[in-house]
Amino acid sequence: MVRSNYDYPGYDRSGPVYWAKKITLYVGVVFGALLMIAPFYWTVTTALSANPGAGVVTIIPETVTTEHFVTLFTEHPIERWFFNAIVFAGAVTLFNVAFDTLAGYAFAKLDFFAREKVFLLFIGTMMIPGMVTLIPVYIILAEIGWVNTYRGLIVPFIASPFGIFLLRQYFLGLPDSLGEAARIDGCNKFQAFYHIYLPLAKPAVATLGIFAFMGAWNNFEWPLIIATSHDLYTLPVALFLVQGQYTQNWGLVMATAAIMVLPVILAFLSAQQYFIRGMTLSGMKG
Amino acid sequence: MATQDSQTTGETGWARFGSLDAFRRKDNLAAFLFILPNLIVFTAFLFIPVVFAVYLSFSEWQVLTGDLQFVGLDNYQNLIYPLPWENDWAVLGTPTVNLWWWAVSRTIIYTFGVVPVAIAGGLAVALVLDKQIRFKKTFRAAYFLPVMLSGAISAIIWGWILNLNGIVNNVLEPVGLAHNWIGDPSTALGAIMLIAIWAGIGFNMIIFLAGLQNIPDELYEAARIDGCNGWQRFRNVTWPNLQNTYFFVIVLAIISSFQVFAIAYALTSGGPYYATTTIVVLIYQEAFQYDSMGLAAAMAMILFAIIFAFSYYQYRARGNDEVTY
Repeated sequence: MVRSNYDYPGYDRSGPVYWAKKITLYVGVVFGALLMIAPFYWTVTTALSANPGAGVVTIIPETVTTEHFVTLFTEHPIERWFFNAIVFAGAVTLFNVAFDTLAGYAFAKLDFFAREKVFLLFIGTMMIPGMVTLIPVYIILAEIGWVNTYRGLIVPFIASPFGIFLLRQYFLGLPDSLGEAARIDGCNKFQAFYHIYLPLAKPAVATLGIFAFMGAWNNFEWPLIIATSHDLYTLPVALFLVQGQYTQNWGLVMATAAIMVLPVILAFLSAQQYFIRGMTLSGMKG
Repeated sequence: MATQDSQTTGETGWARFGSLDAFRRKDNLAAFLFILPNLIVFTAFLFIPVVFAVYLSFSEWQVLTGDLQFVGLDNYQNLIYPLPWENDWAVLGTPTVNLWWWAVSRTIIYTFGVVPVAIAGGLAVALVLDKQIRFKKTFRAAYFLPVMLSGAISAIIWGWILNLNGIVNNVLEPVGLAHNWIGDPSTALGAIMLIAIWAGIGFNMIIFLAGLQNIPDELYEAARIDGCNGWQRFRNVTWPNLQNTYFFVIVLAIISSFQVFAIAYALTSGGPYYATTTIVVLIYQEAFQYDSMGLAAAMAMILFAIIFAFSYYQYRARGNDEVTY
């Protein structure tokens, strides 16, 4: 905990300067926060407004209607798009967590030939722009007939250098002595990883999980390229499609956006302490 | 690196790297198995495709037959000529104009606009929300929410907010500042930058918060005992201790800015009048709309070189300054 200034002598918790500072700080923070969340609010209100294209946008919609959501479910395969997005993001997350914790642990706690060089090679791939590999990967997948399949959608994303980096940093922060103690107690290398270090790395694993899930859930360009039929569209691509068709009907567009955004907000709000603390917590302190 | 596994080196160690001892390290097999899944995936979807992309940039891909035809440096020549100063920007879209340089200029403007603002904003918010402040968690959540959104979704939501009849113009109309922000080529890129900053501040905030929490409280206590005021504590304790964080944040921000795609493509599809045709938008259009895979691969290679240069410079400049404690 960073202690506040007022825990130290020489700082006064009263007087006009104190209150002026305090009020400025809060006004600034609240204003910034409102700017950040206002678009979400307008997404929902627009989705619920009867006639949002009519020019004047009010803060609170005058008439609340669910007609846009009804249209979406009756005239568009929105549940299919939702399912696709869940399958894509879920599979990518599972594989990322499994693979990247293993590799991150190896780079932090195991000693092997050319460890730093292999690590640099892996991390160096973060410098490769997605578009560089996108084109050849698409051509390769086209050759083996994976275009417009779940395989083709998921498999290129099942490991990420970022996850390895994240987990390695975290495991480096855990003391070597834990693993040595485990080995003395008869654990092999995998057991030391699985029973000792992995439980301590829960915050980092949760962080990686959320990162991976969000990355896939939000991925726009890959589904746009690999999915050639409506059946395989995920939500962002579907939203782009709906928006292209109905630029005049913003209510429908925003209803699609709301369906995409609300689960993200719920997931984040329920897991945020993991997420925010996860990047820093060390197993010893926590 | 910061921690060296204690059981490793003995007398020989890295000093005799390359000798037989290096191969005899006891974790070799286990470590190989630990990294094997990643090795397979990276080989199939990163290393091989990169090599293939290099070859592709010297070839032309025949869509109908699926054949690759080697064309040497043609793709690169088509990109570089005519040189930027030989272009007539006023007639964009005609074959005489080199869209590549145009896209590079859009991307550079975008990067210079977005990166400093998003990083300074993220640091400012992190400094405020690291303090004792009421509803800290709620505020952090609020600032972080935009990060959770796909660029495509942000773009479409902002497209509604900024459109001619949208909320922003409703507010600005009485002042006489209503404007077609997205439809006007001179402001469309600005709109995209605004969205990127909106979405970027929260991400940088989280990374900075992590960096701030890694600074030992004892340093601040010592600074207070020495009589440092708030600015001096920031300058002498916070700032130097955030070095690693800056490195991480700046590299990530530049890399992602040069690759901006979803926002630009979902908001305007590169238009109006090429105003938001960034490098990656152009690559996407060449590859998947005009089927010029070879040309697109050549563009991607140049983008790769630019990004690599930035990352490598950062990596070298950081050197051995890494703060370890």
